[in-house]
Amino acid sequence: MAEKVISPDLKFVKEVIASGGGDLKKCYQCSTCTVVCNVTPDTKPFPRKEMLYAQWGMKDKLISNPDIWLCHQCSDCTAYCPRGAKPGEVLGAVRKVSIKHYSPTPLASMVGDPKFLLILLAIPVLLFLSYIVPKGYLDFSAIPRGENGAIVYAKFMPVFPNIDVTFGAAALFAVVCFAVGIMKYWKEMTVNAGLTKWGMAAKGNIFETIYKTIVEIMAHKRFQKCNVTKARSTSHLMVFYAFIGLAITTTWAIVYLYGHEFLSIPKIGIFNFGESPYPLYDPMKLLGNASALALLIGITLVILNRMKNASKAGIGSYFDWLFLFVVFMIMATGIFSEVFRLLNIAGLAYPTYFTHLVFVFFLFAYAPFSKMAHMVYRATAMVFAKHVQREEQS
Amino acid sequence: MPDVNRILVIGGGFSGLTTAVDAAETGAEVIVVEKNPYLGGRVAQLNKYFPKLCPPLCGLEINFRRIKTNANIAFHTMAEVESISGGPGDYNVTIKANPRYVNDNCVACNACAEACPAERPNDYNFGMNTSKAAYLPFNQAFPQKYVIDANYCKGDCGKACLDACKYNAIDLDMKPEAINIKVDSIVAATGWNPYDAKKMDNLGFGNVKNVITNMMMERLSAPNGPTGGKIIRPSDGKPVQSIAFVQCAGSRDEKHLPFCSYICCLASLKQTTYIREQNPDSKAYIFYIDIRTPGRYEKFFWKVKEDQNVSLIKGKVAKITQDVDSDDVIVEAEDMLTGNKIRTKVDMVVLATGMEPAGASNKVKGVKYNDDGFALAGPGIFPTGCSKNPMDVARSGQDATGAVIKAIAAGNFKGQGR
Repeated sequence: MAEKVISPDLKFVKEVIASGGGDLKKCYQCSTCTVVCNVTPDTKPFPRKEMLYAQWGMKDKLISNPDIWLCHQCSDCTAYCPRGAKPGEVLGAVRKVSIKHYSPTPLASMVGDPKFLLILLAIPVLLFLSYIVPKGYLDFSAIPRGENGAIVYAKFMPVFPNIDVTFGAAALFAVVCFAVGIMKYWKEMTVNAGLTKWGMAAKGNIFETIYKTIVEIMAHKRFQKCNVTKARSTSHLMVFYAFIGLAITTTWAIVYLYGHEFLSIPKIGIFNFGESPYPLYDPMKLLGNASALALLIGITLVILNRMKNASKAGIGSYFDWLFLFVVFMIMATGIFSEVFRLLNIAGLAYPTYFTHLVFVFFLFAYAPFSKMAHMVYRATAMVFAKHVQREEQS
Repeated sequence: MPDVNRILVIGGGFSGLTTAVDAAETGAEVIVVEKNPYLGGRVAQLNKYFPKLCPPLCGLEINFRRIKTNANIAFHTMAEVESISGGPGDYNVTIKANPRYVNDNCVACNACAEACPAERPNDYNFGMNTSKAAYLPFNQAFPQKYVIDANYCKGDCGKACLDACKYNAIDLDMKPEAINIKVDSIVAATGWNPYDAKKMDNLGFGNVKNVITNMMMERLSAPNGPTGGKIIRPSDGKPVQSIAFVQCAGSRDEKHLPFCSYICCLASLKQTTYIREQNPDSKAYIFYIDIRTPGRYEKFFWKVKEDQNVSLIKGKVAKITQDVDSDDVIVEAEDMLTGNKIRTKVDMVVLATGMEPAGASNKVKGVKYNDDGFALAGPGIFPTGCSKNPMDVARSGQDATGAVIKAIAAGNFKGQGR
């Protein structure tokens, strides 16, 4: 018999345990989890084998595997686990470690660790303070107003260069980090698939596979297969489309501003090309406000669902909750910034807007290291799985 | 006054009977309290039992005869302990005996049952058939006395029995009776119940046709069972040609029974031989986490394993569904040795449900229990058999003998501060 040496990565085991997989060692390999899982393929199903890999510290096999992301943490496995080993939570923890593994900066360790939270928040706080303190804007009465004394955030924090350069740079940083991460992930998955043989010859057009994956994500088909956390497919769908709505709004606002600035496009009917603030009837503003509301409701539902299902599905880790908290804060501060601005309450409006900017920066700049990264890695894994026919092209 | 040791035995199953007979044969006075209308407990419901795979009624009959011929043993059927007070050497116990509506004149002639207009689900056969409301629990029941089930014999139903009985054995005016006794020590042999399979919502019991429990399988295979020993599936009477055994159905599960029930692997291996002997072409699939056959029972496992028509699959069944266009059943598991999810279609599924100690649902006042409902020892109170730990019949016998020694010692040393 051929000898096979397994060298367990104990550091990895400890990291998974510390990241929310605390009950990992309770697993006794009965495979109830794989059977109740509705999203796993039938061949080499998850998460039973992942539980074994994690217990034995086989990091390479785990994180260069599309399966950890094909899992949508329905938590049916956790609900039925006879040992309370919480496979759903363990895979969540493995995904966190995986994000850290593929993200190329020291920030990766910091985002998942509560003791760095204040430092991470301090970076945008100091950055934005550096814009306003020299102008003496800590005294709100010194901030210029718009027509009829209206609060205009662009006069407090100019869109160009302060907002756009800051966030443009943050977004660019995130995109570069993501690109490096998924390229490394794809490469390791390919090697691993070759080794384990379930990566039959890649077939079909990669672009077609990407298109099919996007269609699947748009419809949230996989989420709907969950049993215990069924309600989550709706709340996650709401958050998902709200984010898309806000992305469109942001692009739209850029078109308004720079279309007016550089191409001298004037106001056309209800389309208010030019500088913010935009009137509430503007379609862009309508879309933005609707998306903001949808996101606030969606993220609140996500939080409530998590608390409701905690006894069956587990409560989640710091990593999960930090992400939920940041999204919730963005929406709450965003909506209140608008409300306080319209009510013209300067004492509340400026600090709320300032906080809003801090959390938006947090979301953008730290995206490749936070749970936000799930959208990129999960989509990559889904494309890969389809590409190597890990799951049938549907 | 000669100082006779007096022992109360709660439960008249295999452990309780062994305790009673062994203690009485040393000269102690024993009172047995049994909840059912018959003695023999779970063993009386088995088709065959370990270690020799003989029908358990021969073993029980030996004990019944020892009881009949020993004046030191008194027993109360259809009775429960209501209260226990006092201490070792001086326990006061109140027993509630429920009415049987049939007295000692009964000769088991069956006339009342023939005349009886009402039927009841037959709990001896786990509801797989019915009996008349006036019934003998099973053909070799001890005591050989009929019972009238008042829950199903209402109104003037009892009058038919009264008219049919030539021996003046029917007494419809019987009332519950309180019996007060004094004993030196108490042995709790309250046994176990099959874990309620409906509690595992993924295993289909009660929703999917032809999913039964291992205790139902014993009745289905027994010559005095609902089918006369023919292993046919409940929904359409088709002889079972393929069968799947689902191990750890509730056992070793912190949400159900957080312990190994000890007997279920052996029970399924044993039941595999029932079907294999009855239908030579039949196929049996045993889905397991680990096969646990303690001690010398390992040999029995080897024997069953040698059968080419028996497949042992490592992987717990966690989903059971009805086939779309038949009464067949589909069990789903991961075959861990190949690493693939499999769905196996069979005629019938047996859930190897575990042992829930009687104390989980019905605690005797005055006896202490742990969180799972297993009875704990107290001063002068000794649990034995499956009331304190899952075990097989042979170990229950040995354990009961141990309980006898403790009970006798507690009585002998009374008043000496021990």
